[in-house]
Amino acid sequence: MDKLLRKKSYIIMFLAPAFILFTAVLIVPIITAIYYSLCDYKVNTDATFVGFQNYIDLFTKDPDFATGMKNSLFFMVFSCITQLIFGLILAALLTNIKKGRNFFKNVYYLPCVLSSAALGLMWYFVFSPKYGINKIFEGLGWLERADKGTQWLSDTSGFIILPIIVISFVALWQYVGQSMMLYMAQISGISKDIYEAASIDGCSRTQSFFRITLPLIKPMVATAMSLNAIGSLKFFDLIYSMVPESMRGKNGGAHVLATNLYEQGLRYSKYGYACAIGIVLLVMCLLVTFLINKFVKTESYDM
Amino acid sequence: MKIDVDNSMVEKDKTKRKVVKILIYALLIFLVFVYILPLLWILMSSMKDNAVFKSTPWDLPKSFNVDNYVFAWTKGKLGIATLNSFIVSTMTLIIALIVGSMAAFAIARLRFKFSKLVLTYFMIGMMIPIHCVLFSLYTQFASWKLTDSLPGLIIPYVAFSLPITIYIMVGFFESIPNELFEAAVIDGCSVPRLFTTVGLPLAKTGFMVTGLMAFVNNWNELLFATVFISDDSRKTLPVALTKFVGPHSTNYTQMFAGIVIAVIPTIIVYCIFANQIVEGLTAGAVKG
Repeated sequence: MDKLLRKKSYIIMFLAPAFILFTAVLIVPIITAIYYSLCDYKVNTDATFVGFQNYIDLFTKDPDFATGMKNSLFFMVFSCITQLIFGLILAALLTNIKKGRNFFKNVYYLPCVLSSAALGLMWYFVFSPKYGINKIFEGLGWLERADKGTQWLSDTSGFIILPIIVISFVALWQYVGQSMMLYMAQISGISKDIYEAASIDGCSRTQSFFRITLPLIKPMVATAMSLNAIGSLKFFDLIYSMVPESMRGKNGGAHVLATNLYEQGLRYSKYGYACAIGIVLLVMCLLVTFLINKFVKTESYDM
Repeated sequence: MKIDVDNSMVEKDKTKRKVVKILIYALLIFLVFVYILPLLWILMSSMKDNAVFKSTPWDLPKSFNVDNYVFAWTKGKLGIATLNSFIVSTMTLIIALIVGSMAAFAIARLRFKFSKLVLTYFMIGMMIPIHCVLFSLYTQFASWKLTDSLPGLIIPYVAFSLPITIYIMVGFFESIPNELFEAAVIDGCSVPRLFTTVGLPLAKTGFMVTGLMAFVNNWNELLFATVFISDDSRKTLPVALTKFVGPHSTNYTQMFAGIVIAVIPTIIVYCIFANQIVEGLTAGAVKG
């Protein structure tokens, strides 16, 4: 048996397709992307090595990249905090009820599996001043005329502009189900005995949530948080579908890193420059994962 | 007397619990509306005539206007896009499952020194944002004339689906009791037959879970598809939708029909397989 399972030819036969594909389409392109990011590489010119010029330009001369960075960091902080709070609340509420738990769980999770592009367009219309929620406000008498109300997706004043804030709430709406699900999985793994023992000792339900549940799901907090952080750094679909191109550039200020990358690469065909943005994104993702796991994760308990 | 006091305390506690429970349910039901209402609004409006929508956007539709759907499906090119998305997602699913489960079987069941290392190598893929390989792949694929073609999308999608597929399938293969494999080997089973007759049938659930995930993820993927495809006849659904629905168009109800067309397939899949999808996405995320 052992001999059969150690046969080199079979091992290679089973591993090779996945290994070759994965290496050729993911690992090699990362290495070339790192190289391109150090090159001046546009659509008509071959890649010429320029050292760190792209990175220097990015961080010193590119206002669009600065906006993108600002908004992406805002998305990251916002989603880490709000998803943690709302995800935990939903998970705690759902584990405390019996009837309809599956129904509620499945409804809140639904947007996670739907196309962000389609949902973004849907919310674009919900927030459209003429026909969307402003129309409801008009009907309720809160607004005199719907199109004179708040310009949800085209107001460009402020440090973080209103469309970005609106979109961050849409993202919360779409993805909070995932955090909820992760926390629920972890909470349902906690032994009932611990709660029973605590309640015999006179522990109230709120107390046991803060003293038992929270410490025991801390490892999951780290996981969910790094997922949220990475997800929001990679954010593309909702911005792409909810704000028109004219809003992203110099006058609009609704760029994120991914739309920066898209625009530099596809519209201006500055491949080297776009690769540099991609590498910055990669480094940020790795850094954030590392930091969150370092500061949030503690030793896991036996349950 | 004392017993009475106790009873009233218990009674008080009970009513308090009941109130809390009602509040919880009220909140949960309110949230259900927050989740369902926008979707319903789009669905209702997509049935209306454009003029009717513009005058009364939030009223119930009086009749069902199929023309919007016909227009979105044909003139909006969402029909061909749905077909493309279906081809891309299904092909990706099939290839990723075959290739991925083979590798997972080798890692979990075949015996070689570096199996842990190989698994770690594949897991790197889960940490990499696909954005950073976007343009190096694009230029490479352009020189191979693979852009603007469906295989040009399927190949990267398969590669991106591999890490999670392998991760989940390794778990399933490892959970199969060793005795089953031993018995099969004694009966003279070769390694490929071990895989097809013992491994695969017992890891059926894993197949379902990873397959559904790959399907849903690739059905919704936008960034790669917008960059790689510019030919109308090859566009996938999210790309065609974002082109069809936009600020230039003034016919809202046709655009709403387009949005409905784009989300209905996943909603149906989700309604049938909600539990498996949830399980898979949670399992995958935990390692992520």
